[in-house]
Amino acid sequence: MLITELKSKEIIASLVDGKKVFMINCQGCKEVRFPEKESVELRKELAADGKLTGFITTDYICNPENMKLRLQKHMSEIEAADVVLVLSCGVGVQTIAEYLEDKPVYAACDTYPLPGFQGVTPLEYDCDQCGECYLNLTGGICPITACSKSLVNGQCGGCKDGKCEVDSEMECGWERIYRRLAQIGRLDVLKCPTQIRNFATDDEVSK
Amino acid sequence: MDKEGEQLENYTKYKLKSNDELAELLADKDNLFIVACNKCFKEFETVDEPECSELEKFAAEQGKTVTGSIRVDFLCNKTLTEKKLQDIIPEGTENVIVISCGLGIQTVADLAGKPVYAASNSLNYTGHHGMALTKKSCDACAQCYLNITGGICPIVDCSKSLVNGQCGGAKDGKCEVDGNKDCAWEKIYKRLEKQGRLEEFLNQPVQLRDYSKVNVNVIRNYVNAVREERFAGYYGGVHPSERKELSEHIALERFPEPKTAVISMSQHLGAPANPVVQVGDTVKVGQKIGEASAFISAPVHSSVSGTVVAVEPRLHATRGSEVMAVVIESDGKNTLHESVKPHKGYEELTPDEIIEIVREAGIVGMGGAGFPTAVKLKPNKPIEAVILNGCECEPLLTADHRVLLEFADDIIYGLKAVLKTVDAQKGIIVIEDNKPDAIALMEEKVADCENIEVVTARTKYPQGAEKTLIKRVTGRTVPRGGLPADVGVVVSNISTVKAISDAIQTGMPLIERVATVTGEKIKKPGNYIVKIGTSVKDMIDYCGGTTDDDVQIKMGGPMMGFELTDLDVPMMKGSNGIIAVDTDQTQPMECIKCGRCVDVCPMELSPLYFAKYADEQNWQGMKDMNVMDCVECRSCEFICSSKIPLVSKIKAGKNAIREMK
Repeated sequence: MLITELKSKEIIASLVDGKKVFMINCQGCKEVRFPEKESVELRKELAADGKLTGFITTDYICNPENMKLRLQKHMSEIEAADVVLVLSCGVGVQTIAEYLEDKPVYAACDTYPLPGFQGVTPLEYDCDQCGECYLNLTGGICPITACSKSLVNGQCGGCKDGKCEVDSEMECGWERIYRRLAQIGRLDVLKCPTQIRNFATDDEVSK
Repeated sequence: MDKEGEQLENYTKYKLKSNDELAELLADKDNLFIVACNKCFKEFETVDEPECSELEKFAAEQGKTVTGSIRVDFLCNKTLTEKKLQDIIPEGTENVIVISCGLGIQTVADLAGKPVYAASNSLNYTGHHGMALTKKSCDACAQCYLNITGGICPIVDCSKSLVNGQCGGAKDGKCEVDGNKDCAWEKIYKRLEKQGRLEEFLNQPVQLRDYSKVNVNVIRNYVNAVREERFAGYYGGVHPSERKELSEHIALERFPEPKTAVISMSQHLGAPANPVVQVGDTVKVGQKIGEASAFISAPVHSSVSGTVVAVEPRLHATRGSEVMAVVIESDGKNTLHESVKPHKGYEELTPDEIIEIVREAGIVGMGGAGFPTAVKLKPNKPIEAVILNGCECEPLLTADHRVLLEFADDIIYGLKAVLKTVDAQKGIIVIEDNKPDAIALMEEKVADCENIEVVTARTKYPQGAEKTLIKRVTGRTVPRGGLPADVGVVVSNISTVKAISDAIQTGMPLIERVATVTGEKIKKPGNYIVKIGTSVKDMIDYCGGTTDDDVQIKMGGPMMGFELTDLDVPMMKGSNGIIAVDTDQTQPMECIKCGRCVDVCPMELSPLYFAKYADEQNWQGMKDMNVMDCVECRSCEFICSSKIPLVSKIKAGKNAIREMK
């Protein structure tokens, strides 16, 4: 799950400067934030300057099979263009770049991560896929994502009035964990042995 | 995993902890309730994932009591999971054990009110991705480098995520970190060389990666904004491109008189009308030509004056089959039938008289469903409010928008008549916030009506569906299989109440309506007052035809409209628009359980099962999953990442279930 944001006007202008452009808009997984208004403005500007050879607004361009079918009827417009400007997340741009290998394919967007890493998002929870779930020791609140420092053995001591010292709008994850454990009567789990995070498990578990 | 063509990767997000770990976890715990997530992003082959039974068996071997278990789809979907878990954890349960990725576990931990433990570890895979179908991924670095690297990502494809060229460690084109991996920078070099962009590339300034760009506050704000949108008013829904700017500013125009009117006897839900004229008969405007044949049925009137030239089955736009119709050749004189004359004002009419006028005028729901309005006006339950639907949440269509702007007084008159008929205290006109001019006008018009209110709803599809609209306005949920009257509400489309106003004030039955002809493939979009029975082909021709032949034409909007393959079909009481849009070349693929259909279904159903069960002809399964509650809004099909034609599968299921009875 990703968020996309249009690159600055200057950067986009430098990409298309003096060139004919074919534009591909991916409204993507729909719930992902896509700058629809800005993309329409950009398209109109390009068309007004006579730079646009064509465009397609579609979804899931990261699906190469359907993307090929959709691009087929626009191939002459793509050929007439010097560059292909793609408004999508990084996955979409790479999919197009590989398919149109001989054509400069440019990304008009930057991609940001979005918490929650699967279909039903965006959630208020986040999972970092650490491969060694700590939730059993923390009353179901994730110390990796709820603590700015991803500490796994308790508070760092830097929080003030329950707020994180890194981000004062964020609640201290370990205070939340403490409260949750107190609530369910399981403060005893805090006495468990020291936890060591094995960063190597990420890959090992996945294999 | 990088093999070409092998696209359906199993991105299952968790696996059970090892037996040693589980034994340790369960050592001091008993009376366990197990919640297992059915996994996502994997080929949807089975509804019975093995982990839950494995854990139950393991717990039994350890001598533990399992108080129960539940398998849930998309456990991380908090709204639906909360409902599923309600009252399901039995008395005596001490610990809840969850098999899921970290998201699902945290969701349950928040809901269960009991100690929650994870029996699984979440798996890691490289980078984020759009739909988990391709081998490529994106690390969401917030500063896309693809423009200088020919579209090959240096962050993901280079083991070291270098952004300024090779590290120098590659041997024979292979990465020194992983001998199976091609050096990304060699790939980038070759691609740029092929495109003649080496000069440009070498002259690039040094790239710096700004790790602070992925800012927690920026992301938090986005998430909040997106969540707010998702849950605005009611669960789910989608935001398709509106594209209403093509026609919303164009004033209504009276469409030229049809030479021949083909008037279908079935323009409503329920039994078709019986023709009461014969070939050769002379008919006048507003004359009844078909009589209601049952309680749920509606009469049909002539929209022209002239001669009946045929009474025979004709192609029906939304049913796709031939249905009895009366064909009238117009004499162009528009002579009014003597039955068309004004009634007393609604103030002087009794509710029963109003219902009779509405029934005789053949008025049916004009939002598309075509339910006979007279039946709706006689609910058997007390009604508190009448909600007027002026949302027009379908993209492209602007017919209701124009009716709001140009017939505001008639709408209010019609609403007052309906309020009197159902004895409701309050009238609520709901308009989406993409029609600010209509909102301003209606607010001005109702300023001195104490019992009528205008509500602005944030644009979201399918706001105008009866049940979502009620939820949005009153917060009440119409029970499964229930009617709006069950929650004290009657919902009516604004065009329908305009027709009621006409029937009372002029005596004119429903013989014309407002329809939009639009779409990016229509040369001259517009909004028209068109007579029922006018041919769709004539309307498209009048609007300059289509820009080219690669076009899809639909009666209705892009979401719920019916595709027309033969344009020689007539406009009907429920035809709010004709659109000509681009075709979409896609092919359905396997369901990957991405969960987006569940995420957007406003009826809180699980459409992925409908696709699976329809293919297996498991109609009972579809019925058990409440397919009959589906309103066919097409949100699931719209969002489906595998492009599965869900709605046609759902319709097949509904038909089969109706036949089962």
